[in-house]
Amino acid sequence: MKQVSPPLLQLQGISKSFGPLLALKDVNLTIQHREIHGLLGGNGAGKTTLMNVLFGLYKPNAGQVILRGQTIHIQSPRDAIHHGIGMVHQHFLQVPHFTVVQNIVLGSRLHNRPTLNLTRATERIQDLCQRFGLEADPNAHIIDLPMGVRQRVEILKALYRGVDVLILDEPTTNLTPQEVDSLFESLQRMVAEGMSVVFITHKLREVMQVCDTISVLRAGEHQLTLPRTQVSEELIVRTMVGSDIDLDESILFAATAPQESSSSRTGPPVLDVQGLTLTAESNTPQVDDVSLQVHAGEIVGIAGVAGNGQQELLEAVLGIRTADRGQIRFQNEELGHCSTRDRLRRGIAYVPEDRVQDGILPTATIAQNSILGVHDRPPYSQHGILKWPIITQHAQHLIAEYHIQTQGAGQQAGNLSGGNLQRLILARALAQPIQLLILHNPTSGLDIPTVEQIYRQIRQRRQEGLAVLLVSDDLDELMLLSDRIAVLYRGALVGHLQQKDFDKYEIGRMMSGVYNHV
Amino acid sequence: MSEQSVVLRRQGLGSVFQALVPYIVAVIASFAAAGIVLAVMGFNVPRAYATILFTSFRTPNGIIQTLIKFVPLVLQALAFTIPLAAGKFNIGGEGQLIAGAIGATTVGIMLAGWPAPLLLPLVLLGGIVMGALWILLPAWLLYRFSINEILTTVLMNFVAFELIDYVATNIWPDPVAGHPTTIPIGAGGFLPRLIQQPPLHAGLLIAIFIAILVYFYTDHTSAGYELVATGANARASRVYGINVRNIFFLSLLLGGAIAGLSGAIEVAGVHHRLIAGIQSNFLLLGLIIGLIAKGNHLAVPFVAFFIAVLEVGASAMQRTLMIPGEMVFIVEAFILLFVLLSDVVRRR
Repeated sequence: MKQVSPPLLQLQGISKSFGPLLALKDVNLTIQHREIHGLLGGNGAGKTTLMNVLFGLYKPNAGQVILRGQTIHIQSPRDAIHHGIGMVHQHFLQVPHFTVVQNIVLGSRLHNRPTLNLTRATERIQDLCQRFGLEADPNAHIIDLPMGVRQRVEILKALYRGVDVLILDEPTTNLTPQEVDSLFESLQRMVAEGMSVVFITHKLREVMQVCDTISVLRAGEHQLTLPRTQVSEELIVRTMVGSDIDLDESILFAATAPQESSSSRTGPPVLDVQGLTLTAESNTPQVDDVSLQVHAGEIVGIAGVAGNGQQELLEAVLGIRTADRGQIRFQNEELGHCSTRDRLRRGIAYVPEDRVQDGILPTATIAQNSILGVHDRPPYSQHGILKWPIITQHAQHLIAEYHIQTQGAGQQAGNLSGGNLQRLILARALAQPIQLLILHNPTSGLDIPTVEQIYRQIRQRRQEGLAVLLVSDDLDELMLLSDRIAVLYRGALVGHLQQKDFDKYEIGRMMSGVYNHV
Repeated sequence: MSEQSVVLRRQGLGSVFQALVPYIVAVIASFAAAGIVLAVMGFNVPRAYATILFTSFRTPNGIIQTLIKFVPLVLQALAFTIPLAAGKFNIGGEGQLIAGAIGATTVGIMLAGWPAPLLLPLVLLGGIVMGALWILLPAWLLYRFSINEILTTVLMNFVAFELIDYVATNIWPDPVAGHPTTIPIGAGGFLPRLIQQPPLHAGLLIAIFIAILVYFYTDHTSAGYELVATGANARASRVYGINVRNIFFLSLLLGGAIAGLSGAIEVAGVHHRLIAGIQSNFLLLGLIIGLIAKGNHLAVPFVAFFIAVLEVGASAMQRTLMIPGEMVFIVEAFILLFVLLSDVVRRR
C-alpha cells in the first residue's frame, strides 16, 4: 500500500465566540472521503456554528481548515464553493416566482449572460436529478412546489456548483417520512459517486439510519467521533445530553410507549370546532371545513407539513383571524364573535410558533412580558392600575420555577435565548387557570433538557385535566405526546388516528395528501 | 421602560449613572464637534459655550425664560412620544399646536366677557379639542385604510399654516399689528401668573402635571401597558388580545390633544392672542427631545428642560456674541446623532 492519503477535510482547533458566549471550544472534526458524517447534538451545541465557520459565514477566533492536506482560508461562501464545499441551510433562500432552473443558476457563473439561454443548464440539472434521484421539474416555479422539492432544489444548487462536500443543516425538519427516506437514498448515491456529506441533526434515529460516521457536539465541545457500527443509541444519547437529564426518567428517550391518557373522554369536549372554514384572498381555503374536538385531559395532535393551514386554524380558533364559516364552542359556549381577549379570558392559553414575532415584546422587560394577555386582570392590575410589585414578584416566580436564565425580571426579554424565551412564553401560559392549552411547535430549536422539561409540563397538566391542542411539524413529538393525531393537508383534516394506530408512514402519506379515509 | 424605576431602585444609583454615561459622552462630544465649527468661523468658543450653558441660571429672567420655553417643548415632545410608544409617528405636532391655538383663541374671543373660572378652562379645552380634531383625519385614515400616519400628519401641518393666516388676517385681525395677528382674547382666558416680574404663567404647572400624568399612564396603568406592548410588538400584542388598531387610533388622538393644549397655553399664557408663527420650531425640538429620551416618559421632562436651557442660551449668544443661534440647533442635532450612535455601538 502506498502512502495513506490525507482525509478529505479537517477542522482543527476551531473556536468561535459571540461576545461573552463561547459557541465553539477548540473543536476538531475530520471528514473522510466518501462518507455520510452525522453531526449530532442538541440545540445550542454548536453544530450549525461549526458548519457556518466551514462555509465561510463566520470567521473563527482560532483554528484552521485543512482540505486534502492543505490549509485553506475560507472568507466567504463563495470561497467555500470554490473549494468544493456546499451548504444547504435550514431556511432556504429562494426566489418564489423563479423557476427551479432560474433559482439554481442564480449567482453561478453563466456563459451566455446576454441571452440567458438556460437550455444547457436545464440539461445539466436534469442529469443531476437523475444521477442522484432528486426528482424535480426544472421548469416548475418554486412557489408551486412542496417543501420537500424545494429542499431538493437547494441540494441541486450545491451539486450544480460541483461540490465535493455537501453540508445539510437539519434537512429533515419539514419533510414527511417518505421524503426523508428518499433524501437518504439520494445522499447514499452522492457518496457512491465520491462525494462526502455532513448531515447536521438533533434526531438520533436519522443518524443511526444513514450515517457512516457519527460525531457528537455538546455545549460547543467535540465529544466523540466514531463509526456507526461502534456506537449504541444509548452511548450517543448520554454523550449528547451529558449529565443534564436522567435518562431513565426521560420522556424524549423513553424506550416504552407512553401510557394512555387517564381521560375517559366522556362529557362534552372543552373545545368543539365544527366546519371551520377560512378563505384567503386567493379563494383557496386556508382552513377547509375543519371539525375537531379536544376533551379535558387529552392531548390532540395535529400533524402536517408546515404551511398547510396550521397557523391559520389556530388563529381562527383564537379569534385573531375571522373565520368565514363554522362554529367554535369552548366549554359549551359558542365563541362566535368573541374577541381574542375574551377567548383568553375564558381560559384558553396560546403558545405561538413564532416566538419572537408572535410571542414576546422584545424591547420590554421580562416582567412586562410575563403579564402579556393578562395585564388587565387582577392581581396584576386593579381598576386599571398596574401592580408592579406583584407583577415583578410574579415574573421572579416564573423565572425561578421554569429555570429561565436571566439576571432578573427587569432584563429585556429580547436578550433571552430561544430556550429561555420559550420557557417564559410557556410559563406565562401555564401560570393562569386555563382549560385549554394551544401549542404550536412548542419545542422547535430548543436544547434537549428544555424539551424534556416542556414535555414533562405538558404531560403533567394533561394529567391534571387540561385539554391540549398540539400542532407540530415534528412527527416524533406528536407521536410521543398525543392521545390522538389528526393530519392537516391543504387546510383540511384528512386523517385521524388513535394512539394505538400511530404509524409514521401512514401519517406521512396523509401529510402528503395520499389518504383513503377521512 | 415601564418598571425601569423598579430596576433602578434595586440596582441603585450606580446603574442610573451607567445609563447616563452615553448621554454625557454624547453631550460632550457634540459640544466638541460644534466647537470646532465655531473655532473655524473665528468665534470665541469658551465664551460662546459659557453663554449657552449658564444664561439660564445667571439671572431670574434667564430661569423664567427657560421655564417658559420648557412648557411647549415638553408638551410637543409628549405629543410625539405617546404615539411613539405605540409605534406610531406623529410628525404633525405643530399643525395640532396651531389648531389648538386657533381653538383657544376662538373660544377666548367669542366668549371674551366670561369670567376666568369659566373662560380659562374653556380656552384650554378648546385647544385640546381642536388639537385632537386636527389629528382625527390622519388617525382615521390609519385606522380605516392603514394609510401611513407620518405622511398624513405632516401634510396636515401645511393646512394649519394656511388656516392660521386666514384666521389672523380675515376673521379677527388686529388692524394695528404689522404681522398676521388677532385681537386679544378676553382677560378671563389668560393663564394666571405664578410670578409677576419677570412674568411666569401657570402653564408650567399644567405642563408638569401632564408630564406626570403621561408617565403614570404609560408606566402604571393597564391601558398604558397596552400602548407600550403595541409599540414593542404589535403582532404579538394582537395575538394576546390587544386591539392594536384601537391603540394606534387612541395614541394619535392623545398626542394631538396634548399638542393642541400646548397651542392653547401659548395663547393663554404667552401671547394672549393668535400670532402667525406661534408654532416656532417647537415641533422639531419636540422630536429631538422625544428621540433623545428614547420615548422614556420619565426622561422626557428632563431632556426637555435641558433643551430649553440650550435654546435660551442660544438666543443670548446671538444677542451678545453675534453668533448665529442656529449653532445650537447643530449642537442639538449632534447630541441626537451621538445618542443614537451610542445605541449602535452598544449593540456591536
